[in-house]
Amino acid sequence: MFLGGVILLFLVAPLVGMFISVKSPELFSTLTDNVVRSSILRTLLISALATVAASIFAVPLAYLLARRTFPLKGVVEAIIDLPIVIPHSAAGIALLGFISRDSLLGSVADSFGITLVGSPLAIGLAMAFVSVPFLITSARDGFAAVPIRLERAAETLGASPFTVFREISLPLAKRSVVSGLVLMFARGMSEFGAVVIVAYHPMTTPVLIFDRFNSFGLDYARPVAAIFIVITLLIFIILRIYQKR
Amino acid sequence: MLEIKNLIYSIGDFTLGPLTLTLSKGEYLALFGPSGSGKSLFLELISGIRTPQMGAIFFDGADITSTPPQKRPVAMLFQDFALFPHMSVIDNITFPLKMRGYKSDQKRRRADELGGYLSIEHLMQRSVEGLSGGEKQRVALARAIACDPAILLLDEPLSALDQDLREDAIELLRLVKSSSRAIIHVTHNRDEIQELATRTQHFKT
Repeated sequence: MFLGGVILLFLVAPLVGMFISVKSPELFSTLTDNVVRSSILRTLLISALATVAASIFAVPLAYLLARRTFPLKGVVEAIIDLPIVIPHSAAGIALLGFISRDSLLGSVADSFGITLVGSPLAIGLAMAFVSVPFLITSARDGFAAVPIRLERAAETLGASPFTVFREISLPLAKRSVVSGLVLMFARGMSEFGAVVIVAYHPMTTPVLIFDRFNSFGLDYARPVAAIFIVITLLIFIILRIYQKR
Repeated sequence: MLEIKNLIYSIGDFTLGPLTLTLSKGEYLALFGPSGSGKSLFLELISGIRTPQMGAIFFDGADITSTPPQKRPVAMLFQDFALFPHMSVIDNITFPLKMRGYKSDQKRRRADELGGYLSIEHLMQRSVEGLSGGEKQRVALARAIACDPAILLLDEPLSALDQDLREDAIELLRLVKSSSRAIIHVTHNRDEIQELATRTQHFKT
């Protein structure tokens, strides 16, 4: 019990300490700072859009992984887990190579007058790259828990495979899919390592926290960090309530 | 109506068949046999949930061996009823009608008809989760016959019910027995449907 308490203290103490250290006037001036507000809005918006866009591909893949056996399935599952284990700065470097002007994607975008590096799209790609495994894993577990018998019954009642997915599998796995979406959104908005490599500007909040710390020191970075932690905690609390309901 | 020729299906060490069978309209075939004899597997082959490795299934002369389940004139009542837990009773019953593009008023009318027929009209708005075993069976049966399937497959429909409910359930099966429909009823209890069956077949392990 004591040992467990130590680790809990280790997790909570830095956060509590940070909130104690933040002075109210600094907090209010940061809250009204347009740079901070726009970075928070940008971070939330890009992460939400990246989550929605990725889900169009990730949820069907999760369903396939839950329901089908196919050659190299283990390799596919390992690829999905890859962004969790590789350093996110390295992921950012890999993505940079993928979207820079020298790459196929970058040159195609460039021919339309779009520069991917340093764009909101690059931020969204970096966020999606590191966070999509959370959605796929959660959704896959949710689909795997749906009794296959119900899907078979729906088929015998006239439902096509897509209708079975839409009417039976997806509603019954909804809790896991929504949890995965929230986890992906939360993880994406917190991402720093990959995002800072592909787009220092426009600044997301984690990059802004780093920039303020690097340029002005701890006292300037702390209020932004405190506000951002409150936002992430709110999302986390909503997720926990949803999961327990 | 239904013609099965030299049907073979293997799974693991078990091989079902070769099976040959013909079933006409109005017939009620009772399939007996111990657990593991492949009775349920046989129903899954007819319904299209599984595809046989050899042999063929014909319906009114047309080969339906490779036809997907949703396009077969078959409905199945599962042993555990397989009701959709996220839907109300009426949504479960009208599910096959929705799949066939029926309009809301047509679905409502058919649900009312089946509700009255199977004495479940008072349950329509309820969630299926809180229903008793007997109520679940009625709902599952209503759902299975909603589109008036030419072939009705019953996979041990009485096994989940206690003795009191079995008598009612047998009466229910008597109701759905029709001259325009063929029924295959899988059971391990030969006595329970002796009065209903027009033919019997025994499966061995």
